[in-house]
Amino acid sequence: MMRAPASTSDDTAEASGELVADGPTNVAHGIARRSMGVEMISMIAIPVLGLIVALVVGGVFIALIGENPVAVYVDVVDGVFFAPRGLSDTATAATPLLLIALGYSFAYQARVFTIGAEGQYVVAAAAGVGIVTASGVRDLPGPILIVVGLTTAACAGALWSGICGVLFNRFGASIVISSLMLVYIGQAVLQWATRVGIRDPESFVPLSRSVGAAELPNVPGINVHLGFVLAVAVVPVMTWVLARHRLGFRVRALGHNPEALDANDTPARKIIVAVLIVSGALAGVAGFVEIAGVNGKLNDAASVGYGFAAIIVALVGRLHPVGVLISALVIAALDIGFEVAARSSDLPTSMAGLVQVLVVVFVVAGDALLERRRSVT
Amino acid sequence: MDNVFAIATLTAALRLSIPVAVAALGALVSERAGVLNLGLEGMMLAGAFAGYSAAEVSGSPWLGLLGGVVVGGLFGLLLAAFVVLGRSNQIVTGISFTLFAGFATALLFQQSYSIGQFPPRIERLGLPALVVITIVVFTAAVFALTRSTAGLALTAIGEAPEAADALGYGVERTRTVAVGISGALAGLGGAMLVCGPLGLFIENVTAGRGWVALALVVFAGWRPAPVAVGAFLFGLSDAVQLRLQGTNTAIPYEVFIALPYAVTLVALVVRARASHTPSALGVPFVRGAT
Repeated sequence: MMRAPASTSDDTAEASGELVADGPTNVAHGIARRSMGVEMISMIAIPVLGLIVALVVGGVFIALIGENPVAVYVDVVDGVFFAPRGLSDTATAATPLLLIALGYSFAYQARVFTIGAEGQYVVAAAAGVGIVTASGVRDLPGPILIVVGLTTAACAGALWSGICGVLFNRFGASIVISSLMLVYIGQAVLQWATRVGIRDPESFVPLSRSVGAAELPNVPGINVHLGFVLAVAVVPVMTWVLARHRLGFRVRALGHNPEALDANDTPARKIIVAVLIVSGALAGVAGFVEIAGVNGKLNDAASVGYGFAAIIVALVGRLHPVGVLISALVIAALDIGFEVAARSSDLPTSMAGLVQVLVVVFVVAGDALLERRRSVT
Repeated sequence: MDNVFAIATLTAALRLSIPVAVAALGALVSERAGVLNLGLEGMMLAGAFAGYSAAEVSGSPWLGLLGGVVVGGLFGLLLAAFVVLGRSNQIVTGISFTLFAGFATALLFQQSYSIGQFPPRIERLGLPALVVITIVVFTAAVFALTRSTAGLALTAIGEAPEAADALGYGVERTRTVAVGISGALAGLGGAMLVCGPLGLFIENVTAGRGWVALALVVFAGWRPAPVAVGAFLFGLSDAVQLRLQGTNTAIPYEVFIALPYAVTLVALVVRARASHTPSALGVPFVRGAT
């Protein structure tokens, strides 16, 4: 009945054509066996240079559409560091990116390439908001309600993501593609949920009830909701898991040297499902904290692309939790800064997105150049 | 009445399946050479934008198609420079390319037409023209892949690059050309979408069709003819969902919106194990590495 699961790395690679254990180092297994010098270039120099080159190219583009790039960048920096809400807005915008990107990095370290967090995010937001606004539940005290919402969202995200793992292990279905198909299906779920499922009966447009007491309080003293603290707290935990815990060891083993897993008697398929569950749960948490921390209500336009922007964050952060934290803040700062700059100029709204995606393109280009040089010498 | 409905749906299905079929053929060419082109969605989108712009400026949808081919092909060659020559990770690089194309086309589109101004519709190509192009492209691809020396070498390079290299075939050169052709076909597919059934461009107009195309290649077991069948299956579910969205049924219309993607997911699952994946798919070639 059940097909033989892919128990060895060879099967896995053959079945999917994507989890391939290619020899040379690259973005996705950034911390492979190599010298300190190369590692420093890869971990620090490439992302920093990538950002600089992206800003320069972005500046050329700004000049082409008739704005002064220097003035625009001054506005961007002003908007982040000197505007009244600049820093707190940046932290708020970084929260979902950080949570999702941490999940992606965990999976990518195992060379499990999922790109479906956008779907997990919206499905989990619908599930989490649905439960905290359900009659009977919504009268519970705030802290309990928040825990219930977070747990539900994490489970929903993990489930949506875990499907890809099961489809891969049982049928060899490519995770890249199945996770993306589930984004579209998840968005349809969001449409239905806000239109019918968890709709506020008094609303004329597709909109849920307010999360009420489940609304996340601000961190004392600053204008940032508690979700940011939660996201930042995941950074040391994940650093520790990757460096010290058995699961982290197995994740890295699957990424670098799948044969070591065989020697360790751990089937690859278990790790694949585990990393997908972890990354899905984090995307789910991101979905709930964004709604409970920022909007308070879920509408049908909640799919704003954090799940895709977080791919950039994870890659630019070199899949290292601390790097991901820094890159989430930088990417969010670009969003906030360009938003401010656009108010006093004719910049198009997608300018920040272009610079962000240029960063990742140049980071990948840096990897390619580094790899080419290394293999020639 | 029912007949009219059925014929209209089938025509719409054909119209909607053609862009996916052509893009999927592009994915197939690249994958047969051993390179996973996850930039396909981005190349399709870039081709769609280029096709729209070229057709709008020139007034001819045929020049639109040409624009799609050229821009898609250039994107493909750029990706090849990264993944074939630079040997960067094919999955990560391809995804980055797709993200890049998404933002770049959105930005250029916003720049070209100020907000509120309705972007002009372009003259559309009729179904017969689209069908003829598709048949020509598929025939040429089947012939090239199965009957020509270059096509057989391409397949050999996807299966056993070391052996092909030892026989004197240029692995990097062939793969670069294959990814370039792959981009050109994806660009053509995108341009056929906007110059054919739609007649206009909107942001993210391809809506995941490039990813669907990648799934169809797996479903088709890396052979051209089943790719066309799979694409028709997708086009049919797309046409059916467009029809059913307007009708009053007890089923929520969101089910229909998700239908084409669910069908693709099923297609991916059904055939994934039984397929004939090129042995060297996704593996960069380094002479003397093994």
